[in-house]
Amino acid sequence: MPAEPEIAGKAAGKWRGRVARVLFLLALGILWESLSRAGVWNELIFPAPGAVIRSLADGIGDGSLPRAVGASMVRLGIGYSISLLIGIPAGMLLGRLRLLDDTVGSLAVGLQALPSICWLPLAVLWFGLSESAMQFVIIMGSLMAITLTVRDGVKTIPTLYLRAAPILGATGWRFYRYVLFPASFPSVMTGAKLGWTFAWRSLMAAELLYVTTGIGSTLMMGRELHDMPLVIAAMIAIIVIGLITDRLVFRLGEDFVHRRWGVG
Amino acid sequence: MAVVELKKVAKVFASQAGRLTVLVDIDLEVADGEFLCVVGPSGCGKSTLLNLIAGFERPSSGEIVVNGQPVTGPSPSRFVIFQEPALFPWLNVYQNVVFGLRMAGVDPSEQQDKAHALLKAVHLSKFAQAWVTEISGGMKQRVAIARALAMDPDILLMDEPFAALDAQTRDMLHEVLEEVYQQTSKTIVFVTHNVREAVRLGSRVILMSGQEGRIIEQFPVHLPRNRYLEDVEVVTIASRIRDKLRQEVLRSSGEEGEHAG
Repeated sequence: MPAEPEIAGKAAGKWRGRVARVLFLLALGILWESLSRAGVWNELIFPAPGAVIRSLADGIGDGSLPRAVGASMVRLGIGYSISLLIGIPAGMLLGRLRLLDDTVGSLAVGLQALPSICWLPLAVLWFGLSESAMQFVIIMGSLMAITLTVRDGVKTIPTLYLRAAPILGATGWRFYRYVLFPASFPSVMTGAKLGWTFAWRSLMAAELLYVTTGIGSTLMMGRELHDMPLVIAAMIAIIVIGLITDRLVFRLGEDFVHRRWGVG
Repeated sequence: MAVVELKKVAKVFASQAGRLTVLVDIDLEVADGEFLCVVGPSGCGKSTLLNLIAGFERPSSGEIVVNGQPVTGPSPSRFVIFQEPALFPWLNVYQNVVFGLRMAGVDPSEQQDKAHALLKAVHLSKFAQAWVTEISGGMKQRVAIARALAMDPDILLMDEPFAALDAQTRDMLHEVLEEVYQQTSKTIVFVTHNVREAVRLGSRVILMSGQEGRIIEQFPVHLPRNRYLEDVEVVTIASRIRDKLRQEVLRSSGEEGEHAG
């Protein structure tokens, strides 16, 4: 039974890692607290941990922080979903159709080189100062990454699957739905994760330059009010949201892919 | 009656080094219910021959006719079993077996009946719900056979299907295939580099040359069925084929030596 000690070893390693992480964060907090108590920097630019925690608590207490997070997530959810709905099928088609890849594919590669926030001026002129403008920036920021990752994944699907498909009668749309999509699912997962990262960054950039409700705007409001605890509180909220989505959503997806496809 | 007919088939690949002639002048007929084995040195074009019949590749010249119809592309009626089992890892064993039936829109209860019968035939009933990544190479190849039979093809094309398996597993799969062949009397074209395997399974063995991709000799195998790799008759015929094959390899490597010298 060589498997058991190995599993036990893994579990112990996991716990050791967790404890180390908590201790590290604790030490960081203590360092922070002692630096602010030493009074090296002005409290206006270097707030104490307590002030930041208070700011977080106030924000949660009066509902402004959840509201801002909620507004950002709805915005992100809509833009990101549209990106997935367009990007996944587009990537699959680009991976299969040479002519499309040579034309639309090279355009996507070009647009990928453009940082998403560069779309904002155009978006404002097209859509005005509206939700649509921000959605547009999110979509342009994440769509190319999703499309190109899925395309590359489709191109590396084992030839065996592609040869097995027609002899099993999977032709036409059935080929795309029942063979190509599941076969490229690992790269769809990778593309979705990458797209999420891009969408999230695009959203923050857009909200920073924009007066609206949202966690990015909360951050900007902190700057305008010279409310440093609020600035840091908003940054912490952004980090936490990022970690939660990574751990809960994408980690689960990756585990699933790893188990079933044996890759990823 | 011939199920598969190849008439003056040639296959030339364009490669960076120039034109690569893989098959020349192949005339071949495979009779209904025949178990044809194709042997030859590696690189002799035997897999290409199979891919042409399967419709994965088109001949450069000549014609391939199956059941009176020219081959224009892959079809479930000419089912291929590859060296790698090519099962879909996102489906479990059962789902892999019924995949083709699902594509064909077969009634679910009929799918179930068929799958259970086939899994039983390849001795995998207990593993219906297992994931492909959880089973051994030999089991995967048995699933591939069940999946092929589910499509009820006119012809089974097998491309060195047991080459990656260990000896015991291969023996067992020979028995499974033997049973399948005797029960269904499907037409089978079986490519292998293992001469004894060819004689153990085939009702006819064709030998291909290494250099220009021709059929150089045919060996009918009139031995009663349920043979074993160790049978004296099997070994005798195999050694005749192997002698011929050895001459062939020597001849072609001799030619290469001349080129090099």
